[in-house]
Amino acid sequence: MKRIAVIAVLVAAFVPLAAAVAQLPTFGEASNPTNTYLVPRYLQKGPEEAGAANVVTDVILNYRGYDTNGEVVVIFTALIAALATLLVRPKQMAATPPGDDAPRSPIVSFVVKAIAPFIAVFTVYLVLHGHLSPGGGFQGGTIFGALIILLSLTLGHKYGLSLLPERSRPWLQAAAVLAFIAVGLLGWALCGAYLAYPSYSQLEWVREGWLIALEIGIGVGGAAIFATVFWTMEAEP
Amino acid sequence: MLIEAILQAVTAVLVAVGLFFFLVGTVGVLRLPDFYSRTHAATKCDTLGAGSILLGLAVLGASRGDYTDGLKVLVIAVLVLLSSPTAAHALARAAFRTGLEPYTLPEARGGEDR
Repeated sequence: MKRIAVIAVLVAAFVPLAAAVAQLPTFGEASNPTNTYLVPRYLQKGPEEAGAANVVTDVILNYRGYDTNGEVVVIFTALIAALATLLVRPKQMAATPPGDDAPRSPIVSFVVKAIAPFIAVFTVYLVLHGHLSPGGGFQGGTIFGALIILLSLTLGHKYGLSLLPERSRPWLQAAAVLAFIAVGLLGWALCGAYLAYPSYSQLEWVREGWLIALEIGIGVGGAAIFATVFWTMEAEP
Repeated sequence: MLIEAILQAVTAVLVAVGLFFFLVGTVGVLRLPDFYSRTHAATKCDTLGAGSILLGLAVLGASRGDYTDGLKVLVIAVLVLLSSPTAAHALARAAFRTGLEPYTLPEARGGEDR
């Protein structure tokens, strides 16, 4: 009986979805609205309208800024969910996890110490250069998070934790969401809509500043979240 | 002109050597008996294979006068040569410390077969 009800619900959900998919334009057709209007507009006017030479950045942070705002909130929610389900208290996270006192390989420590500064510089480059070329906050933040995880594995749990001080850690974890809210509200106050950018060409530096603030927020927030999820899983008994 | 041709020939040889090591490494990963020897084979792909191909690409860049691109490729090669053996070392060390026994021939183990 229950199985029949499940099948009925699935069929009832599937039929309208399938009907909607059947009405979609053929994928990749040259006469689709995406190809006749949207893509040429992005490619031709993107840098001028949205403020970044890299079209991907234009789309992510300006044309579809709301979508990215939601995405950032989703990542932050994932962190909250991980912290809530794994039930790790801050004290447990500060304690050294089992195996942390095992003798470390001098080779690995040396190579990590030698490479770490270069990884850090590359992170900054990716975050700031996402404006002009492939890269940006998400990529840079991922690599920075990996760097923190690498350092806390090779140089010790305590050293890794000290990179994100306990008092500022919640703010760093929420950095992406806070950056979006700040820029969004500034846009509301100055340009009349949430996450709106000034369109005058004289105010280009304002627009660039907002884009860079968003990139830095996404990078810092992403790195802090990745590192915290790692530490949470490490501390879980 | 002649120098360009020579450099391109050097590139072809280096890339061929790299591909050879990738092939051998892949066969090794599939055919070798245990974790340690497979790790060893996989590392050969990264160090000798990728290293030689990247060196070939740097020479190709130099033959076209793209010295900055060649230099960037060399930096990537240095990174690969540093990180890949280190990763292999860390993997093998962790496996050994957790008690994974290396494969030995049945005769050496006293005839008993696993």
